[in-house]
Amino acid sequence: MVTPSTIDKLFNMDTLVKEPAAKATISDTPSTTPKTMDQHTQPSSAASTPSATETKPVIEIDNVSFSYDNGKTNTLRDISLDIAPKQVTAFIGPSGCGKSTLLRCLNRMNDLVETSMISHGEIRIMGQDIHAKDVSAIELRKQVGMVFQKYNPFPKSIYDNVAYGLRIQGIKNKSKLDEAVEKSLRGAALWDEVKDRLKTSALGLSGGQQQRLCIARTIAVQPKVILMDEPCSALDPIATAKVEQLIMDLRQDFTIVIVTHSMQQASRVSDRTAFFYLGELIEYDETNKIFTNPAEQRTEAYISGRFG
Amino acid sequence: MHTGGHILDSFNDSLTEFKSTTLMMGSAALRNLDNSIRGLIERDKTLCNQAIAADDDEDLLELEVDRQGMAIMLKYRPVASDLRLVIATMKISSNFESASDLAVSIAKRSRKIIKGQEIPRVTAIEPLYELVSTMLKNAVTAYSDLDLNQAIALINQEEEVHKMHKKISRKFSREVENECPEYREYLNILFICRWLERIGELAIDIAEEVVFAASSEDIRHSDDIPSSVLEAAANQTNQA
Ligand SMILES: Nc1ncnc2c1ncn2[C@@H]1O[C@H](COP(=O)(O)OP(=O)(O)OP(=O)(O)O)[C@@H](O)[C@H]1O
Ligand SMILES: [Mg+2]
Repeated sequence: MVTPSTIDKLFNMDTLVKEPAAKATISDTPSTTPKTMDQHTQPSSAASTPSATETKPVIEIDNVSFSYDNGKTNTLRDISLDIAPKQVTAFIGPSGCGKSTLLRCLNRMNDLVETSMISHGEIRIMGQDIHAKDVSAIELRKQVGMVFQKYNPFPKSIYDNVAYGLRIQGIKNKSKLDEAVEKSLRGAALWDEVKDRLKTSALGLSGGQQQRLCIARTIAVQPKVILMDEPCSALDPIATAKVEQLIMDLRQDFTIVIVTHSMQQASRVSDRTAFFYLGELIEYDETNKIFTNPAEQRTEAYISGRFG
Repeated sequence: MHTGGHILDSFNDSLTEFKSTTLMMGSAALRNLDNSIRGLIERDKTLCNQAIAADDDEDLLELEVDRQGMAIMLKYRPVASDLRLVIATMKISSNFESASDLAVSIAKRSRKIIKGQEIPRVTAIEPLYELVSTMLKNAVTAYSDLDLNQAIALINQEEEVHKMHKKISRKFSREVENECPEYREYLNILFICRWLERIGELAIDIAEEVVFAASSEDIRHSDDIPSSVLEAAANQTNQA
């Protein structure tokens, strides 16, 4: 090993910072005030100071097992992971390992399957057990929005698509709606492309634009968490890059969980990565660690294309 | 760790070829070093010329390694141990190339020395040469097997090579200071001693890249070998 003496002469060693400012997202200062769920869950708990709630995990998955057939078989087994605020977390793993299932647990989309059940454990979002009796799925989904693989705008105008969730919430005031629609479309990096055709059908947009419109529709209601299930799998490289840029921008305000089959996408956009295999969480760590030096042999085999 | 086992056969094949091209550079550097020093000691100009001529091949191989490395990055987007191997290999190949360049410098200087009068004490350089040549050989095998134990042993030889260089060059500088009749030749041998020492340092640099490829720890510019590397080395021993 070369002795540092030569470098010493050239640089003041104190100025050489080894670690760049990593993990900045954790210490992001809150830009929004706590929303309904907070108030809902912690009516007047003096113990939870604002700073404590911001650094606390937004999503806590606690020993969760999940079954599609009334508990006969568990599709997810004993999953535990915490997701910190304003982080992008990628779920990766082979087809059928349960990524979408877990994602759909987070906003109770699986409720639609009648025989489905959480057979063990608990999921908390902002401290609230999402299966508690007093939490409605509709309330939950205001806080936990979802963007799907197959972009699915409604057969309505661009404007109406974005205003949809707000109107459901009872907002009728036109200037308020206009303002929210513009803000959301800007937030989804779509405003400049559609501002002159807001009243035309959303179905006339390109695939990439439709996917960003769906993201605009999701962020319009200001959720805390955005779930994305393979949001770019039907998009070309340019549209994919735009959505990825958007994900990185949205991280300032939202906590994002993204399911992706692209290892490159996971390494580009996410802070942490969870690798699932056959319904189990095998490894969950900083994305950089997972893709340069994973701890588990199975993770390494999967990400480097060694699974037989 | 392993170049085999990918679902894509062409990925396995590319990595294997990439590694063997680099290993070829390693053995060529060794041979060039050998020829240059033997040329000096045996006063054989042909050996010196061989070392000088063979360096052109080494240059071409270096370009080839870079081309292959870039193609692997582009086509297969390596991650984890594959990524570390590709990055380490590209640096190792450039270290082999530098070692071969130094062998050329040694050969050219040797050619000059043997044009002059015989120098009785030239064989005093042999212990330094043997040490450095063994180090370079060990660097080649440590890379070939991604052998952490061998890499660590090499890194621990740093002081030994510096000491040996000091000891041997002191002998030659004494001749220069005494203004013995062959003092010019000894002056040139002092240069050769320094280049040999430098090749030893390159072998250590290669060992550090092997440690990175095999364990993901970047130990360049650090004083100690981290315990995680020692543990990984012990694991390799147990698996063997
Ligand atoms: N609605 C459902 N009813 C019953 N079983 C289901 C249902 N949805 C998914 N499964 C099963 O649960 C397992 C996990 O499926 P899931 O869709 O979560 O996998 P995934 O990791 O998202 O896969 P992919 O990468 O292919 O999207 C699979 O075996 C699947 O067949
Ligand atoms: Mg899925």
